[in-house]
Amino acid sequence: MTPFSRRAFATAAMASLLAGCGGHPARQTTAAPRSGRRPPPTGVKPARPLGRSVPVGLRIPAIGVDTPVIRLGLAPDGSVAVPPVTAHDRAGWYRHSPTPGQLGPSVILGHVTVGGYGDGVFRHLTRLRRGDRVEARLENGTAAQFDVSAVRTVAKADFPADEVYGNVDRPELRLITCGGPRSGDGYLDNVIVFAALTSAGP
Amino acid sequence: MRRTVLSAMTLACTAVLATTVPAFADDATTPAPRRTPAASVSPVPSKAPARTPGAAAQAPREEPAKKRDRGQVAVVPKGAPNTGVTEESSASSGNEGALIGGGAAVLAAGGAAVLVVRRRRATGA
Repeated sequence: MTPFSRRAFATAAMASLLAGCGGHPARQTTAAPRSGRRPPPTGVKPARPLGRSVPVGLRIPAIGVDTPVIRLGLAPDGSVAVPPVTAHDRAGWYRHSPTPGQLGPSVILGHVTVGGYGDGVFRHLTRLRRGDRVEARLENGTAAQFDVSAVRTVAKADFPADEVYGNVDRPELRLITCGGPRSGDGYLDNVIVFAALTSAGP
Repeated sequence: MRRTVLSAMTLACTAVLATTVPAFADDATTPAPRRTPAASVSPVPSKAPARTPGAAAQAPREEPAKKRDRGQVAVVPKGAPNTGVTEESSASSGNEGALIGGGAAVLAAGGAAVLVVRRRRATGA
């Protein structure tokens, strides 16, 4: 091998090494300081469960949310599907969960940000406080009123699936979005709002 | 001279191939660290006794509508929802990788140019 060839190989190797190093964004998987407290017991008086009626709208006056609600299923990898990334971001109800007001945890998801389109519909979900009102408008013309009982920010790696999707003995609501530090292609945490049904009406 | 051209082409090809690596790496990664339902078993105050760790370990699958009518979650999704798209990720799927890959290509091109010049000087061309 001539000195020239050696130099060529050395340069090529260096180029490959540099490019390879940049190919894997450093995704932080360690647990950063987070507010991982459990939802406190609610002082909300339970309301009677409602019949099944698909949600068509969601209103959260405390953070200025008034959005249509679409239906979401499962992604091919078994994770929950999320609303499409569009300029007019909407919330989505997980259709394998109870409808809002039914017995069990009804799950509604929304984006915190939608890339270049800016803020998502759940951008300010972390600002909710215990007692804030959430109203789900249902297909049958009624509205289910929920009171927030807890707001939690948890690492995605430690997502509390049982607390979010597990059976409960009253009608509850889960609002889920992302939050916390940003990683290369998203966020490291989830923000989960726990709420309980207080009343229903037209 | 032919050897010089061949070497320069080798460098260019290496740089091009190297820049594709970050793109593949980004496609292959999952959007968020995922956890199987089996690993997510933790004491939950509100959990009903019917839910067992064994049931949680099963893969999510569609269940009949009858169960949905009774309330509760019929199918527990895997992992955490990915409900946030950052500006960086929407602008390009591999911005960082493309940047560094491009940098490597420029470096490789520069190295090739230096080698060509030195080679020419050495041969007196």
